[in-house]
Amino acid sequence: MNILRYFTDPVLQAPTLGSMLMCLSAALVGVVVVLKRRSLLGEALSHASYPGVVISIFILAAFFPAGQDWLAPVILLGAFTTALLGLFAIELLERRLKIKNDAALCFVLSIFFGVGVLFASRLQFEHALWYKTMQVFLFGQAATMNNTHVILYAALAALTIAILLLKYYPIKLTLFDRDYAKTVGVRLAALDALLFVLIAMAIVIGIRSVGVVLMAGMLIAPAVAAKQLTHRLKWVFILAGVVGALSGFLGNYLSLEIPAWGSGLGWKFTLPTGPMILLSASSMSLLALLFAPKQGLVGRKWRIATFRWVSQGENLLKFLWKKGDSAVVRFTDLRAQTPYSSLQLWLLLSGLQRQGWIKRSRSGGYALTSDGVVRAGYIVRLHRLWEVYLVHLGQGVEKVHCRAEEMEHILTPELEQQLVDLLNHPKQDPHHQPIPYSERLP
Amino acid sequence: MIQNPYSGKNLFEFLILFVQRMGELLTGKLSLASLASDEVQVLVLALVASSAATIGTFLVLKRITMLANSLSHTILVGIVVAYIVLLPWLPGAGAHAHGISIEVLLGASLVTALLTTLLTHVLTHVLKLQEDASIGLVFTTLFALGIVLVTVFTRSTHLGTEAIMGNVDALHLDDLYLIFWVALIDFALITLFFKEWKATTFDPAFASANGISSARYNHLLMIMTSLTVIGAFRAVGVLLVLSFLVAPVITARLCTHRLKPLLLYANLIGIGSALISVALSRHLLTVHRLPVSTSGLVVSMLGVVFLLVLASRAVKAKMQRID
Repeated sequence: MNILRYFTDPVLQAPTLGSMLMCLSAALVGVVVVLKRRSLLGEALSHASYPGVVISIFILAAFFPAGQDWLAPVILLGAFTTALLGLFAIELLERRLKIKNDAALCFVLSIFFGVGVLFASRLQFEHALWYKTMQVFLFGQAATMNNTHVILYAALAALTIAILLLKYYPIKLTLFDRDYAKTVGVRLAALDALLFVLIAMAIVIGIRSVGVVLMAGMLIAPAVAAKQLTHRLKWVFILAGVVGALSGFLGNYLSLEIPAWGSGLGWKFTLPTGPMILLSASSMSLLALLFAPKQGLVGRKWRIATFRWVSQGENLLKFLWKKGDSAVVRFTDLRAQTPYSSLQLWLLLSGLQRQGWIKRSRSGGYALTSDGVVRAGYIVRLHRLWEVYLVHLGQGVEKVHCRAEEMEHILTPELEQQLVDLLNHPKQDPHHQPIPYSERLP
Repeated sequence: MIQNPYSGKNLFEFLILFVQRMGELLTGKLSLASLASDEVQVLVLALVASSAATIGTFLVLKRITMLANSLSHTILVGIVVAYIVLLPWLPGAGAHAHGISIEVLLGASLVTALLTTLLTHVLTHVLKLQEDASIGLVFTTLFALGIVLVTVFTRSTHLGTEAIMGNVDALHLDDLYLIFWVALIDFALITLFFKEWKATTFDPAFASANGISSARYNHLLMIMTSLTVIGAFRAVGVLLVLSFLVAPVITARLCTHRLKPLLLYANLIGIGSALISVALSRHLLTVHRLPVSTSGLVVSMLGVVFLLVLASRAVKAKMQRID
């Protein structure tokens, strides 16, 4: 089995599991970041962690030869320290110097990164092997991970998840209602600090597989995808975690399978894992943005189109009703007296015919069926009831028609009943037209 | 090849010699072709710093520096796309001795600016994603795409690394011409429409009441930013251009609140840091035998200048309190 191979093969296992764990913790923390609307903080902090990586390697290089895995925690600690330092600097710039958020983020990320580059160049000239270790953190490299790394990242990811689970309730409160959270005794400052620590941790865990430059995307993309699919916070976390872990796997899978497929066709190339992980995650979030059932673009456009379609059909019914219950109207007359094109009109009419509200007479014209008369009368009733209601609210008689043109397609039977009760069973609309009523249900 | 006149000089000797030789250049005693590599570096970095500080002032005041950050990432995909699209029509473009020809440069900056702003706009307004997430998603995705394309077509990530880090030591006279044109375009556009820039920055409502479209000037600014980023990316790398765009302005902002002095100070800080850093890099090599990345040094210098200005402000405030 091809996919299982990624979890059992001794060479592939560590990179795959490592990437999945990293992306999982990044995705979970990313939910908090995105919901707080501080997505770009991840960008600043991941760049701020780079000098930490470089400086700790710089110090290690003075004492140890390169390529010793047990030193990995020291590198991560360095990254964590400068990430927190960067966070502190951003807060300082914003709070004390009143520098705008965007400028503060850009300032910190570029200056910190520059310091990293400065030290990196020293390393390049003196310790070429260590320099190589360090470059891995720039774009990420999953392939060189081994079991030691996986255990380290698994532990850190587990810690992140544990903290999120323990503090789930207060986190939820602060995300949605800070004032309420404060009144029930959540210590906001402490919790914010904890969340920032978590963000820094997730970034430090993640940069090994996707790299400093792309880390921000790994925080954002899974949360965006999850947020499209559900409104419940618990499920946002769970789905984001799934999307994150899945993209960690897909990145590894695609970066090996696509070149293999390409070399089969005689085209040799390699694909970097980190960017492939990110591309998997962002394509998933793009798919969610487009096709999520409730909030996706396609779904929204579809609902708008169906609403418009129904409204146009109802307007056509009303038009026929006003001509008289049994009047037969020819297609050319409809075409001349309604705003619809021939094709649109033909589609609408055949739709109404299928629903049994109009029938085609032998002479070629269209007329309402008895069901159609009830249906059209009901729509006119809603229209006129709404006009009465608007006048009741104090709107001018001449203004109410246009508003009612929209509401007649929206009002439900319950609202109709409430309007009737509220307006005391009106018999006439403000223009002195009768309000139709039928015993039969429309 | 004559010997570099700066080799073996320390910081002060460097600065004195530099001023002397620039005087010779202006009076015509020294031709452009005979410029030493250190001088090319200083001039290129100074032009980058100056055009970046000028544009950056408006970016910071308009609060859209994050879009500049996006551009500094997406430029990679812009360059790749421009090469793939433009190469068939430009027989000489690919074979150009020092990387990017001016046509490809213009094409890439247009492609990048349009792609980035358009995608971010679509994500925010059509797909209804919150703005910060849209920005973050677009630039990381495009950057990942850029790296993948570069890796597939060149079979190494080396170009990617260099694009990020920059390589000041590889600068060439051609780069000077390039960045000269970029700076000229930037300055011309800013000076010609100075009134419009001012209006759209400080009071967009007033601007639009007078028939000046804020959106149009924002788009122009994005194109100028992306032009500057591309012009600078060989010298300082895309990420460090960002520091040239933001850091001098923020530092200057500590000293003044008026637009023209802000532009002046930001320019001076940027150019000064560039000059000092090249000199310092030479000094470190001469005196301490320490070769370091000049672009890293420039950015660190910008950070140091910020801290110094901050410290002097704090000292001044304390002195006033004592008085």
